[in-house]
Amino acid sequence: MFIHIFTYRLKCLLRDYEGIFWTMLFPLILATLFNMGFSNLNSAEMFNPINIAVVNNESYRQNQSFKQTLEKVFTGDDRLFNLSVVSREEADEMLKDNHIDGYIIAEQPIKLVVSRSGIKQNIIKSFIDNYMHTFSAISNILEKDPGKLQSLINDIESKVKYSKEVSVTNAEPDNVLIYFYTLIAMACFYGGFLGMGEVSDVQANIKPVAARINTAPVHKLKTFFYSSAASIIIHLTEMLILLAYLVFALKIDFGTKTSYVLLTTFIGSIAGFSFGAFISAIVKKYEGFKVAVIVSVTMLCCFLAGMMYQDMKYIVATKVPILSYLNPVNLLTDAFYALYYYDTLTRFFTNIVILTGFIIVFCSGTYLIIRRQKYASL
Amino acid sequence: MQVFKLCIKVINKNKYLLLVYVVIFLVISFTLSLTAVREMETSTSFKPAKTEIALINEENTPLINGFRAELAKVATFVDIPDETEALQDALYFRQVSCIIRIPQGFTEKFMNGENVQLGKISIPNSIRNVYIDLCIDKYFNTARLYVQNMNGITQQELVQYLKKDLYDTTSVEMIAKGEKTSVTNLNYFFNLFAYPMLSIIILGMSTLMLIFNDKDLKMRNSCSPISSTNISMQFVLGNLTFTFVSWLIMVLSCLLLNFKSIFDFNTVFLVISSFVFAFCCSGISFLIGNLVKSKDAITAVNNVVTLGMCFISGVFVPQEAIGSSVLKIASFMPTYWYVKANNTIAKLTRFTLDTVKPVLYDFLIIIAFGLAFFSVSLAIRKKYRSYT
Amino acid sequence: MVVKVKDLVKRYRDILALDHLSFSINEGEVFGLLGPNGSGKTTAINCILSLLKYDRGEIWIFGQPMRPDAYDIKRNIGIVMQNIAVYNELTAYQNIDYFCGLYVKDKNQRKKLVNEAIEFVGLGEFTKFYPRKLSGGLLRRLNIACGIAHKPKLIILDEPTVAVDPQSRNKILEGILELNKQGATIIYTSHYMDEVEQICSRILIIDKGREIATGTKDELKAMISLGEKITVESYSITEKQISAIKKLPGITSVDYKNNALIIKSGKGTNNLETVLDFIRKENIHFGRIYSEMPTLNDVFLEITGKELRD
Repeated sequence: MFIHIFTYRLKCLLRDYEGIFWTMLFPLILATLFNMGFSNLNSAEMFNPINIAVVNNESYRQNQSFKQTLEKVFTGDDRLFNLSVVSREEADEMLKDNHIDGYIIAEQPIKLVVSRSGIKQNIIKSFIDNYMHTFSAISNILEKDPGKLQSLINDIESKVKYSKEVSVTNAEPDNVLIYFYTLIAMACFYGGFLGMGEVSDVQANIKPVAARINTAPVHKLKTFFYSSAASIIIHLTEMLILLAYLVFALKIDFGTKTSYVLLTTFIGSIAGFSFGAFISAIVKKYEGFKVAVIVSVTMLCCFLAGMMYQDMKYIVATKVPILSYLNPVNLLTDAFYALYYYDTLTRFFTNIVILTGFIIVFCSGTYLIIRRQKYASL
Repeated sequence: MQVFKLCIKVINKNKYLLLVYVVIFLVISFTLSLTAVREMETSTSFKPAKTEIALINEENTPLINGFRAELAKVATFVDIPDETEALQDALYFRQVSCIIRIPQGFTEKFMNGENVQLGKISIPNSIRNVYIDLCIDKYFNTARLYVQNMNGITQQELVQYLKKDLYDTTSVEMIAKGEKTSVTNLNYFFNLFAYPMLSIIILGMSTLMLIFNDKDLKMRNSCSPISSTNISMQFVLGNLTFTFVSWLIMVLSCLLLNFKSIFDFNTVFLVISSFVFAFCCSGISFLIGNLVKSKDAITAVNNVVTLGMCFISGVFVPQEAIGSSVLKIASFMPTYWYVKANNTIAKLTRFTLDTVKPVLYDFLIIIAFGLAFFSVSLAIRKKYRSYT
Repeated sequence: MVVKVKDLVKRYRDILALDHLSFSINEGEVFGLLGPNGSGKTTAINCILSLLKYDRGEIWIFGQPMRPDAYDIKRNIGIVMQNIAVYNELTAYQNIDYFCGLYVKDKNQRKKLVNEAIEFVGLGEFTKFYPRKLSGGLLRRLNIACGIAHKPKLIILDEPTVAVDPQSRNKILEGILELNKQGATIIYTSHYMDEVEQICSRILIIDKGREIATGTKDELKAMISLGEKITVESYSITEKQISAIKKLPGITSVDYKNNALIIKSGKGTNNLETVLDFIRKENIHFGRIYSEMPTLNDVFLEITGKELRD
């Protein structure tokens, strides 16, 4: 009997193109779009050498020390600036056309010309400030002890780096990952459509087919479990395809704990399925209404988990922390995030445990409602 | 005009459903545009850029206090509990651009001329990181000069010197480019507007077309003594009317939310731009309505088409943040030209034929797209007039 | 005794859907459940199938009390619901095979049964079609095939001919009789009295959840006083003539409306001749004149005071 129901259910599900579209194709398309849209989002905050110009006038040509200082920062791979030495008019033109972010007039005192105040302009300013400040310090020291000139020159030459990157994890805080993690979570919860279908198909008060199932000599819950097995297999396969697409085609980083990532996907799939089944069991309305409830609840949860605007996740977590634990989509997203970003597994397991709690609630709720065998009205 | 009248009736019947969409989209767009302009630069005079950092200070010495004061010139301190995960979270969500930890014993070692370093957790290679590094190195390198060249200098003396040295700043001259924040804000809003506009028009029109393209109804219509071209044209008219009304509602509410800049020339151009785009949307919806045969399929197509177009043409993320190859694909879509036109408009300071010309070209391209969509749909309608 | 229903009561809030309904069905019968729309036919069926909760009463099928988990009973029941209950994602063949598979485990036997069912309803050319592609009549036939493929001993058909063209309807009705001939007991609900009259061996008429009458069609007709109904189409009948007809022997009522004179008479008398004699004598011109035997509608009308179909 299991094989009979299971295989026929598989056939049904594979023919349900609309269902497959929403549970698999749509997340795949969305992932592709995310990837296209966010491809350069990280590089926007990355540092690239800033284009500057210096006005080639008499005072610049004579100011050897400034020239040397500049030289140090516009050569090499980790250079700060790309420098062009031009006339004032040319510099103005370049600034207007956005070819440079600012230009320096090396008079006494040194002047900076910019067209807006952004971080790049401030870096240029900070650099010139530094030059001036060093100069001021040198004059102070020489005033006290003129004999220190040589040692000062040596000290200036050997600039020391005073900060050290102490990474707590190997994972970079790659800002776009959350979008993809919420996407998987969303896809998992779209599995709710499958759960909904399974419940509707055995509830005689929802579908005529279910009435027929109810009159067959097979226990209703047996039918439900057998065909649910088919739904879960299908959904799990879809999720694995999505995961493979993200990892291999889009090169989304999930960290190194592969088996845990798979476990999370599995639990997510079950959670989504049982969520849909639960909604379908408690909402005693026609199917369109159930779909609307599933979609809107999922979307609201996704929004709070940061799918449309990722800072939302942080805002919720810091302002209303309880909400982030009550939002299953966020738990799932956070599980992926914790696997990728943290070295310890505490947070990951917290998420998984609460998520499992949700699954238990959803499943037992569904069971209590659908085990009923007679209906008050059809 | 029977067909046209019926179009209006059907739309009128569904108006509340569509209005709900309008309201939801407006609320979302508005919150998004609010958050997006948070970091927008405002300026006619030069201002130091500040970035959020977390400073975990395990020492309280004059040297470090001086450092803190210096750092305050370029950074805003954010309080974050000193727990690994909280710190990591803050960094991930860019609540801080870096976390600096001053270890115990730092000052003592520094004053002894030993090699010491601050601990820093940051977003690798980020521009803000470079900015903070410059500041840290400036302070301690200057301090080092004193420590190594003035024997027996006390912390107090050192800080006094540093305070004086670091007081002077470079004079900065701003040459005005005159970008108005209000316009950049509105620019973003109008870019975003492409998404709800497309969705609503596709959804509304396709629902309408679905009713009329129902096989039996279509057959009945074909039997009437009105030419099919005439029926099609009435459809187009109904479609345009619906588009116009939706556009009007959305633009008006959009302007109400940004009423400060209504009388700007830029705003006027943005409104025209959205109108041209609405026409194009109308064409797209007409095409989809003629191609797609079921209600479920329309929801699917609507989602894919609108999200797809908006994602890759810079409606959600700025065009600069999108890869050039993606933008090349995007240039085959009207949304790309719409966003491009809007961005150009927002940057305009003078309105002469010369400066406006590129915008007008973009408009022409969008209109051409719209006309193309309409003609393809009409051709399809003609071809599939009878059933096989 | 295949089905025995005793004192069944079902309420939907304030509405009494079944009002102390009792009946029993013997093996080999084609049992008709007749009543207007909303009279409680489907509710009764759903109660028998244990799909619906009921407030009072007992139901036995094959001599055992019917319960939701009485799978041995269910194995021998076939149902054809009013609504089409098939999977749109499965072909006609797959649908029949799926439902049959819930009853019959053996694959080879199932294959035989499914093919027989397909042949029985005449879907031979359409086995690979998906339900969406089937016309209304064919879909009804598929719906029936899904219900009867496993050769049940008791077949319940709930308005299987709603919205079906006359040709398909006849095919369905013939099929039901054929199933009955093969040994199945049939419960058939309908609000079409002619259908019920045509195929049912015993009929239960219900209205507002209450039993109105039960028996074979002849028994039912025997219950009422009406024996014959004579209609005379004529436009020149005077009041005087009408009252004269009323006085003729055996005539119970006379009604003259829309140029049609309807004369009802009691049982057993040859009234047509009397009426004809009177008409000839009075020299009344008439278009047509015909006599009818009472129908189930007349039975319903006489008992409830309203037409079966409104």
